[in-house]
Amino acid sequence: MNVWAKTICRLLIALMVWMPFQIATAGMIGTDQVVASSPQADRTAVLNFLNRSDVAGKLQTLGLDPSTAKDRVGAMTDQEVQSLAGRIEAMPAGASDAGVLLLIILVAAAVWWFWQR
Amino acid sequence: MVVLAALSTSGRQALKNARCIAGVFILLALCGCAGLAPQTATLRETLAPALHERFELTQVPFFPQSEYQCGPAALATALAASGVKVTPEELVPEVYLPERKGSLQIEMLAAARRHGMVSYQLAPRFGDLLREIAAGNPVIVLQNLGLRDGWHYAVAIGYDYDWGKLYLRSGESKRQVLPFVVHELVWMRSGYWAMVALPPDRVPATADESRWLSAVAALERAGDPRAARTAYETFLKRWPANVNAAVGLANTHHALGELREAETVLRNAARDNPESVIVLNNLAQTLSDQGRDSEALPVIERAAALGGPFSAAVEDTKRAIQQRLKKR
Repeated sequence: MNVWAKTICRLLIALMVWMPFQIATAGMIGTDQVVASSPQADRTAVLNFLNRSDVAGKLQTLGLDPSTAKDRVGAMTDQEVQSLAGRIEAMPAGASDAGVLLLIILVAAAVWWFWQR
Repeated sequence: MVVLAALSTSGRQALKNARCIAGVFILLALCGCAGLAPQTATLRETLAPALHERFELTQVPFFPQSEYQCGPAALATALAASGVKVTPEELVPEVYLPERKGSLQIEMLAAARRHGMVSYQLAPRFGDLLREIAAGNPVIVLQNLGLRDGWHYAVAIGYDYDWGKLYLRSGESKRQVLPFVVHELVWMRSGYWAMVALPPDRVPATADESRWLSAVAALERAGDPRAARTAYETFLKRWPANVNAAVGLANTHHALGELREAETVLRNAARDNPESVIVLNNLAQTLSDQGRDSEALPVIERAAALGGPFSAAVEDTKRAIQQRLKKR
């Protein structure tokens, strides 16, 4: 495959991934564009769809099936997607409450110690 | 609970002194630990005197978490408190990430929208957390309980200001009591991350106008125009002059096929904000969608004359209207 064919293939794949995320009523300027600090230029729009497919792909590698990943990314705003793109690994993921006891015991012990003196 | 058990083995007096211990926490906060828990230390000055009280949202349901799944459990708690019928099990496919064995903050916010709620991240202030509780809103907080990676979601449902205690639904305990200082120590590690998920006819006590509007717009984007319509209406009751919220309300009417209502909202907005290109563009489009292109044309021409960052979209609308007029 030559370089052009590859590029076109990539573009088509990206567009296919992007399509379901596109929600707009023809002619109306969307509220999210108005609320965002700067109106969406074409460049931002391209960046957004790259970010969305990036995040959806990343969610898949973290154990989601493709349609679930797509739905979950669909509920996020552009800003949220942007803040996740490329950084999911570094984000905290709330999980356990095992550590609480350790910390409370440490603090309680400290107080106990103060109290007894 | 383990703590209480440990204390009782060391002497029953400890339990009797539990209140004094809380007092000691306050004392520690005020003198020694001010640097460790800066917000607790300044709460007396920053929190409105009316909130120096005791509140507890006892009716907030409790879902004990199964392993690693505090995200779904905490979210279910907050959603159920807002009247959504949902269980943690149903939320697992919406927020849980198997490989990370946990849930991301952004997904907690996003998932609430999928149930028609407006999710709002609070400002990172202890006082705001307490204000929301006092207003009747349970607050999801992200704590870090471990030495490194002990991220945990809990739901704050009450507090006792005099004793400096916070009540939470957390993990397997239905009513966890954490001294303010301890809570701040574990909460500050997430940058004081906290969120509420409210029905669209409510506004959080600590809502900031522009951030709350973004939260409502996010609900609209997530594809629930009915809930978003209610949220915009509620927003406009509180901040009637906000033109962007009017645009949002009109857009939800438009999406629901209520073109007359959209037109009314936009006409009022255009009267108050004659220079708003967005209002004019959307008004023209709404008129055109009702087959009233000859009325739409002067409106879109006024928008085109104003220029600005949306001029490309305005030109598209104008061209479409002109074409429809030619076809007649």
